[in-house]
Amino acid sequence: MSKVFPKWINTLPLKIVIFAGVLGGTVTAGITYYFTPKYTRVGYEPTQPVPFSHALHAGQLGMDCRYCHVGVEKSAHSTIPPSQTCMNCHTAGMMPVNTNNPRLAPVQTSFESGVPVAWVKVHQNPDYVYFNHAVHVNRGVSCVECHGQVNQMEVVRHEKTLSMAFCLDCHRNPGDRIRDPKDVFNLDSLPLAEQGRAEEAHKLIKDWNVIPPQSCSGCHR
Amino acid sequence: MKRKFEHPAPSERELTGPRYWRSLDELSQAPGFREQMEREFPEGASESNEVDRRQFVKLMAASFALGGIGLAGCRRPEGLILPYSKSIENIVPGLPLYYATAMPVRGDAIPLLAETHQGRPTKLEGNPSYSPLGGSCSLAAQASILELYDPDRAHGSSHGSAALDPAGVHDLLAAVSSRYSATRGEGLAFLAGESSSPTRAALIAAIKQKMPAAVWAEYEAVDVSNPTEAATAIAGRPAKPYYRFDRATRILSLDADFLQSEPGALVHARDFAKTRRITGETEMSRLYVAESHFTITGSNADHRLRVASSAIPALAGAIASRVFKATGASADLVAESEKLAAGVEFEAKWLDACAADLVAAGEKALVLAGFGHAPGVHALALAVNTTLGAYGKTVHFRAIEANEAVSIGELAEKVKAGSVKTLVVLGGNPIYNAPADLDWAALQKSVGEVIRHGYHVDETSEAAGVHIAASHYLESWGDTRTANGTLLAIQPMIRPLFPSLSEIEVLARIAGDSATDGYALVHRTFMARDGADEAGFRKFLHDGLLDRSSWERIGAAPSVAAANITTQMASSAAPTAASLEVRFEVDVKTDDGRYANNGWLQECPEPITKISWDNAILVSPRLAKELGIEADGALIQVARKNANKFQIGKQEAPIGELTIGGRTIRGPLHIQPGLANYTIVVPLGYGRSAAGRVGNDVGFNAYPIRTSTAAAFATGATLTVTGDTMLLANTQEHWAMEGRELVREGNLEEFQADPNFARSFGMEAHTPPIYGKDEGMSLAQKATLTPRGNSLYETPDFTADQQWGMSIDLNTCIGCNACVVACQAENNIPIVGKDQVLRGREMHWIRLDRYYTTGSTDNSEIPEDPQVALQPMTCQHCELAPCEMVCPVNATVHDEQGLNVMAYNRCVGTRYCANNCPYKVRRFNFFNWNERQIDSLYMGPLGPKNTSELVKMAKNPDVTVRMRGVMEKCTFCVQRIEQAKIEAKAKAGASGNTLVADGRIKSACQQVCPTEAIVFGDIRDESTAVSKAKHDPRTYEVLGYLNTRPRISYIAKIRNPNKAMPDYNALPLSRVEYNNKNHPAHHEGGGEHHE
Repeated sequence: MSKVFPKWINTLPLKIVIFAGVLGGTVTAGITYYFTPKYTRVGYEPTQPVPFSHALHAGQLGMDCRYCHVGVEKSAHSTIPPSQTCMNCHTAGMMPVNTNNPRLAPVQTSFESGVPVAWVKVHQNPDYVYFNHAVHVNRGVSCVECHGQVNQMEVVRHEKTLSMAFCLDCHRNPGDRIRDPKDVFNLDSLPLAEQGRAEEAHKLIKDWNVIPPQSCSGCHR
Repeated sequence: MKRKFEHPAPSERELTGPRYWRSLDELSQAPGFREQMEREFPEGASESNEVDRRQFVKLMAASFALGGIGLAGCRRPEGLILPYSKSIENIVPGLPLYYATAMPVRGDAIPLLAETHQGRPTKLEGNPSYSPLGGSCSLAAQASILELYDPDRAHGSSHGSAALDPAGVHDLLAAVSSRYSATRGEGLAFLAGESSSPTRAALIAAIKQKMPAAVWAEYEAVDVSNPTEAATAIAGRPAKPYYRFDRATRILSLDADFLQSEPGALVHARDFAKTRRITGETEMSRLYVAESHFTITGSNADHRLRVASSAIPALAGAIASRVFKATGASADLVAESEKLAAGVEFEAKWLDACAADLVAAGEKALVLAGFGHAPGVHALALAVNTTLGAYGKTVHFRAIEANEAVSIGELAEKVKAGSVKTLVVLGGNPIYNAPADLDWAALQKSVGEVIRHGYHVDETSEAAGVHIAASHYLESWGDTRTANGTLLAIQPMIRPLFPSLSEIEVLARIAGDSATDGYALVHRTFMARDGADEAGFRKFLHDGLLDRSSWERIGAAPSVAAANITTQMASSAAPTAASLEVRFEVDVKTDDGRYANNGWLQECPEPITKISWDNAILVSPRLAKELGIEADGALIQVARKNANKFQIGKQEAPIGELTIGGRTIRGPLHIQPGLANYTIVVPLGYGRSAAGRVGNDVGFNAYPIRTSTAAAFATGATLTVTGDTMLLANTQEHWAMEGRELVREGNLEEFQADPNFARSFGMEAHTPPIYGKDEGMSLAQKATLTPRGNSLYETPDFTADQQWGMSIDLNTCIGCNACVVACQAENNIPIVGKDQVLRGREMHWIRLDRYYTTGSTDNSEIPEDPQVALQPMTCQHCELAPCEMVCPVNATVHDEQGLNVMAYNRCVGTRYCANNCPYKVRRFNFFNWNERQIDSLYMGPLGPKNTSELVKMAKNPDVTVRMRGVMEKCTFCVQRIEQAKIEAKAKAGASGNTLVADGRIKSACQQVCPTEAIVFGDIRDESTAVSKAKHDPRTYEVLGYLNTRPRISYIAKIRNPNKAMPDYNALPLSRVEYNNKNHPAHHEGGGEHHE
């Protein structure tokens, strides 16, 4: 019987398997890396028009988050402060602080001209997600949980994935992450569970009736 | 690991922002800003090539942290946050603010609360402080937010073809002012619409004082002055009648569509519903309607008489004479009413029984006539009311201010005489809608200088030399009065989007007033009131209305003389096929044409005909037969008829030509059951040629055959069928329930005998109970445990503390369609255009199903005189939802509160759910309606995506704007539910009370409903309004036998017919139909069959 197939055909199935495996692996890796929120945003650290240091203000000076982010307890948004807020201190008035620093120029210009400072968004949810700050900070969820220790950041960095799985981890087990309501804005505090006060956490959840939504309507409208 | 990303600098467009955006106005004026940004980001400054993606961001940037994403799924979409430079009092981004304002409508007004997001109004709701309306509002008020963002509105003023800047407008008006101050007004004339604004009245007085010879004329295409004229003649001073339907138990409407098109209809609807709601405490009212058209009011009637409008005076006379005789009224009145009734034949038994019922009701009776009828008919109606002792109870007069404006006819005479040199047309649209006999277009052309102040560059503006852009009421200061005279404040929600002036600002400039700013003018008018102070003005603005400012009530019953009735009354011969009567009807949607460019209104189906995007010449079935157009069933789908031309939503209508007095119009014919046999109904307000992109060439224009002497109805018309046809987008081709029990109805006596009648028929009454052994569970248990009943199917548990449900009372729903547009405004529902509605792709989340029934199951003939049942239909939020069972990707699932939710971002668009939904309430985005213009839907991915920025501003930021390819449906306004829950949780603290109080959440449809037919709330709590409503014995679920367990239940409709009437039916006709189909042994009118 004549040779119908050349000899290399014998290894073809193996080659196909290897090729398909490599291709599949690459595609999977690519999609995982490029398309899932887990990897896309963490570490994002854009340059801001004004090199505002949270480490200095919230860390060293110990300013409360809510001095600038005034809406956080009332609104869905934490609200980025108007230039006016910066000028409360950085102006030649009652309490002149560092008013001649050239890096403050954009804020001063903005205050005088009325043109907003164009801050760059660091944390951004898709527009079908309706996250609400007020309901979290009023119910024992600290800023740290999603934003990391901003009080140590020179430049604000995207610290957590903010993916749906990230949200659901906490919504399913709020006891692991809940803080003493007094510590919500204390960025150096730890969740009750990590302080070994898990029972207190569960009591808090029970007393405050903390039942985070786990279905679509909680966040998608 | 530290990764650092450079982002491209914001583009020029992004930084400057649209000029009309209030909070960015300052931004666009700052030259230094661009340089500053370039210095900050030198390397990225030239890379501003992502303009498209950033369009949305640009808009949202101004609303601050809500930055949207142009390319979802793309890596790291960059957005900017532009906070205010200086913070603004009360504004917290993310929290809406509510301000009181009002929408003026002719002499009436609707008090409103406007929801604004960072200075951008997005939704209007009724002002709950105004108790006669209790927070409800109308279809037009809901849609008026879209008018504000109409891209076709005038973007500025113009003089001929040259644009006119604000300074130019000021100079022009100042020149008019000084020129005519010198001539003391000689040669100056105004033509305006009706208005109840005290500020405008004061400015007119100022103009009259300075320029006594100036002519002030007012014209409304829909003239509602007849009742006022009658009341003024009777009371001897300016007065108008005011009805209290909530106190009436027997109502006779003589061609008055008091629930929809009459002035004050919204208050009437609300009051009427109070007497229809069965509470056990008050007597249910009975409504008699005699009308030529089939209006919403007629569809709610217990007894309805089809009668030509021209025969209404005779009918009024015939009934009045019976009432007068029974009550022993003066011989004059009896003689006068008999004279009126002479020569026209009516069914005597109908009149006798109706009159006897009115007499028996005494002071609780109410007779009223439509505004289209002569003052004499109104005087007669009032005479009946006073004779019965109802004056002061169900009707009274209120003293109003005299209106000294001349009519458009008198103005036309002056123009013809050449005494008008400058004509100022304020609002209105006379070239489009002035009476045909005036030939207004030619008259206006003959005037040397025409200055037009209008919102659109419309037909009248095109023929005027100068067009001054008008501000929307949401952009301007003003004041107005409601129908009962309560003073309302009109506050701007946003600075004018385009350079424009309000009407009072124009008048102030012509008057040469020192104050030209709207605020100053309104403030001055208010302060001129007795006892007004600054604090009072602040309160007035805050509340939106001034307490106890309504027109003074005339207490003593006026005596109606026979002379009041005799005035200009002429009964003409009954119409025939050769000499038809034509009734001109104010359109439910476009009104007199003013709302023609509003897509929400155009797409909303007319409540009775169900036609969207068109008007049609309505003819009765009898006339249709005689014209030969009914023969092949062309118009309304006739079940079991082979030759009909009706395919899903596509109604092929023959085109007819209607001629009166030598004037002819062409339009599609629609066979409308329930019309008087030889009355043709022609809706006004369509066929505009310069309305804008939405309203141009929609429908036909009926004004060319409407003359000043026959504005409401005309006789002697002929109708010919041309042989041409056109398609009408009719959203409900099927009119019969086919003997099914979708809308359940009973008569009052039956209900009193058997309160549970609604549950004793229908499929459920014949099948094993759905809840089986669990039948006895409470509402709360059923909601949370979802008992299996007799089913094998594993049912879910709903665990949340609050379970949402809704109850819809079919007895109070009048079918006004306000809920449809309120839902559209709240939930960012797009319009799709006539072509797509023809394909059945309309997107409304809630619709009103309208059923005709005659009692017969033989639907081969279009009924001449059917009963109508209306049913709001939306997602039923079934506990065991058929849609969820077929979704392959879990995009539609239940949440723990019992809501059937849609996750848009999961949906892949298989449409299995819509196919499996027995209620047909799911809507699919066949196109990217929000990105595409209606005319470029089919252009593929490269087609233009040019939705106006203005339209985007109308979107509710709390609701996702859906993409092409996803399914959507009613969410129970989940955004409102979640916001209320968040509010409750945020303030709960250690109390742990996270429950939302009953009444805190109102769905958009519930909020707008003037009759409070819709109740929404927590069904787990037995004390809530919705739980109570669900315990009503008349409660039933539509298609409940499918075991879908809807969270929406309906309360069966009760009719209250009079046994003595010749058209009395022992059962509503839909029940007769049901019985005929399901129990053929019983014959029509037979008793109820109980298992």
